[in-house]
Amino acid sequence: MPRKFGKPTDPDYEARLAEFEARIARGEKIEPGDWMPEEYRRQLVRMISQHAHSEVVGMLPEGAWITRAPSLKRKMILIAKVQDEAGHGQYLYHAAETLGVTREEMLEALLSGKAKYSSIFNYPTLTWADIGTIGWLVDGAAIKNQTMLAQCSYGPYSRAMVRICAEETFHHKQGKEMVITYAKGTPKQRAMAQDAINRWWWPALMMLGPHDSDSPNTPTLVKWGVKTKTNDEVRQEFINEHAPEILEAGLTLPDPDLRYDEATGNWVHGPINWDEFWAVVNGNGPMNKERLEARRRAHAEGAWVREALAVYAARKQQTAVAV
Amino acid sequence: MDTQWPRWEVFKQDTPAKPHQAVGSVHAADPFHALLTARNVFARRPQAVSMWVAPASAIFSVTQEELAEGQEPKPPAPDPRPSTFYVFRKTSHKRSMTFVDYVGELEAASPQQALELARQRFTDAEALAWWVVPASSVTKSENSPETVESWFAPAKDKTYKQQSYYGVVGSHVSKFKRPRGEDDE
Amino acid sequence: MNEQVKQALIAKLTALADDELILAHRDSEWTGHGPILEEDIALANIAQDELGHATVWYGLRSALDGSDPDRLAFFRDAGEFRNCEFVELPRGDWAFTMLRQYLFDVYEALWLSAAARSTYSPLAEAAAKVVREERFHLQHTQAWVERLGLGTEESRRRIQAALDEQWGYAQQLFVPLPDEALLVAEGIVPDLAEVKEAWLERTTEHLRKSGLELPLQPGYQPASRQMHTEHLWSLLAEMQSTARWDAEAKVW
Repeated sequence: MPRKFGKPTDPDYEARLAEFEARIARGEKIEPGDWMPEEYRRQLVRMISQHAHSEVVGMLPEGAWITRAPSLKRKMILIAKVQDEAGHGQYLYHAAETLGVTREEMLEALLSGKAKYSSIFNYPTLTWADIGTIGWLVDGAAIKNQTMLAQCSYGPYSRAMVRICAEETFHHKQGKEMVITYAKGTPKQRAMAQDAINRWWWPALMMLGPHDSDSPNTPTLVKWGVKTKTNDEVRQEFINEHAPEILEAGLTLPDPDLRYDEATGNWVHGPINWDEFWAVVNGNGPMNKERLEARRRAHAEGAWVREALAVYAARKQQTAVAV
Repeated sequence: MDTQWPRWEVFKQDTPAKPHQAVGSVHAADPFHALLTARNVFARRPQAVSMWVAPASAIFSVTQEELAEGQEPKPPAPDPRPSTFYVFRKTSHKRSMTFVDYVGELEAASPQQALELARQRFTDAEALAWWVVPASSVTKSENSPETVESWFAPAKDKTYKQQSYYGVVGSHVSKFKRPRGEDDE
Repeated sequence: MNEQVKQALIAKLTALADDELILAHRDSEWTGHGPILEEDIALANIAQDELGHATVWYGLRSALDGSDPDRLAFFRDAGEFRNCEFVELPRGDWAFTMLRQYLFDVYEALWLSAAARSTYSPLAEAAAKVVREERFHLQHTQAWVERLGLGTEESRRRIQAALDEQWGYAQQLFVPLPDEALLVAEGIVPDLAEVKEAWLERTTEHLRKSGLELPLQPGYQPASRQMHTEHLWSLLAEMQSTARWDAEAKVW
């Protein structure tokens, strides 16, 4: 896989960096095996593996409701959705692997608590309406980011994102359809939908990352074509699209300062509680321990299974060689 | 010591008229298991008519840049016996959804020789990267109509995975607003 | 179709659907907890397919008596379910789940292949369609049984234990319903005795090839679909909790 990661101390670093940046400026994709700065690789591994972990941990809050889905159709949709999240984790681990990091190393980082994943999944799913709301808001926010990353300069990440976006659109739509259905349903259904919107709105805004002023990596990532928009830009797009739709559905949003600004065409939001964001990121959210514990348990309980197949495969290969 | 099993590159063919394309990889224990896994991971939705898998460790990959600089990497475990090699090629840096596509097979004494022959034979487009894979390392899905039906056709009926299934949300949201004054039942 | 045959067919379709629904429930409990990401995806495929089959059978019943599949799934009590006990057993470890799915897949693939020749064309058409994906499952679970049986000492011990526990329960798949003979006589459904013969031959060969021993004592063999294990009540309490939480709701 990639063999050449340039360091600033390399004699030809400046020349190659200029060439690399020119390629990105021309809109070319960087592929495994191409020269790239070590820092580009490092940032990508960080982003892609965090993203993969988020998909895998993200299976848990929703997966917990598969056995309680209220209709055959919703149950089917939810299994397919959570399965897609596993698939997205799978695509993303692959993209990171093309940069020379192994699945074993990435999982070790996740299970030991060293690696980060999206803070949103450390919130509990308290009712069935959370499933629709996660689709509408959380996947809605994720798509904003992913659509941007589909343009990313690194080929394998960009390809994973193109596939993921195509599939996520279904996640977003089924969630929106579900919440809108409940918003015009029985009083209990409507109250459940409103409660879910109230709990997920702020975390959804936070999951798009800290303000640009607190996001030190952003300028480099934008220059190298990894990101094409800043966190605040993506967040604004998300609010502009979702706030009016939620209000039109007859639901309210838990932000007394939220208003439409005629001059800019933007929906202006009130202050975000970043203390809560950092507390969750740093391991003190309501579900951090449970989520990691569930991953560790599945990993440990699967160890004998992985070993059994490895032993079977080795034995088969030996037999084949002997013959 | 944990194992996540070896990595296998997956080549998916979307229609009989298209080449097999590298679409990603799966972790699996053995060749047939890798093929089953590839179907589960990469055919959740249509389209596919055929899949191949090959251990990532058996693939000899070389970029144009490496060839130009004479920095060609060593192929994995060179096999001294002449055999058939499958050749894949990447021809564009421009779009996301292009990576290495199957271009053909040839007989050669080693991966290096296969690469040299490929560079002479497949000249219809500029190659930005080459993958050379011994045919003996590739496991293929069966081409029988029964297998194609069983492996790849059912995904077409799983319409709930398509966003168009939720067409109702495509209409304006106000359609769903309850008329004022209507009491809840 | 006379009324007696119709009622027998409704009962049969209900039993088929309930088997698939409860098995899909057990399989879906693994989603997010599989031994490796790729197998999580694989088992979620199987769960979706089995749930899809349940929907097909409930749908055929609905065409006969106008019943609502969601009412059947979410508003019947344990005593009204007609699934076999085999599919209710808790998911156990990976060996238990893979073996159960394998034993069920062989049965289902054989039953469907025969049912594709049903004289009742809606059933024949549905079976012909469903059997396609069942063939793929079978390849998958068959591969797993072989690999666990011929893997490590631990994997062999675990899958053997699963076989010892499941073998008797699995036999219930071949116990006909009280009026099933009427349907067989009309060529509407396959004769379970013939399906069982083919199933025994096929499973026995593969299990032996996978280094497993068939239990000398089959153990408890449930005989009536009116009876259930202690697990069904809790399973349904969970499965039906949201739907029953708001009985006024017309749409979910």
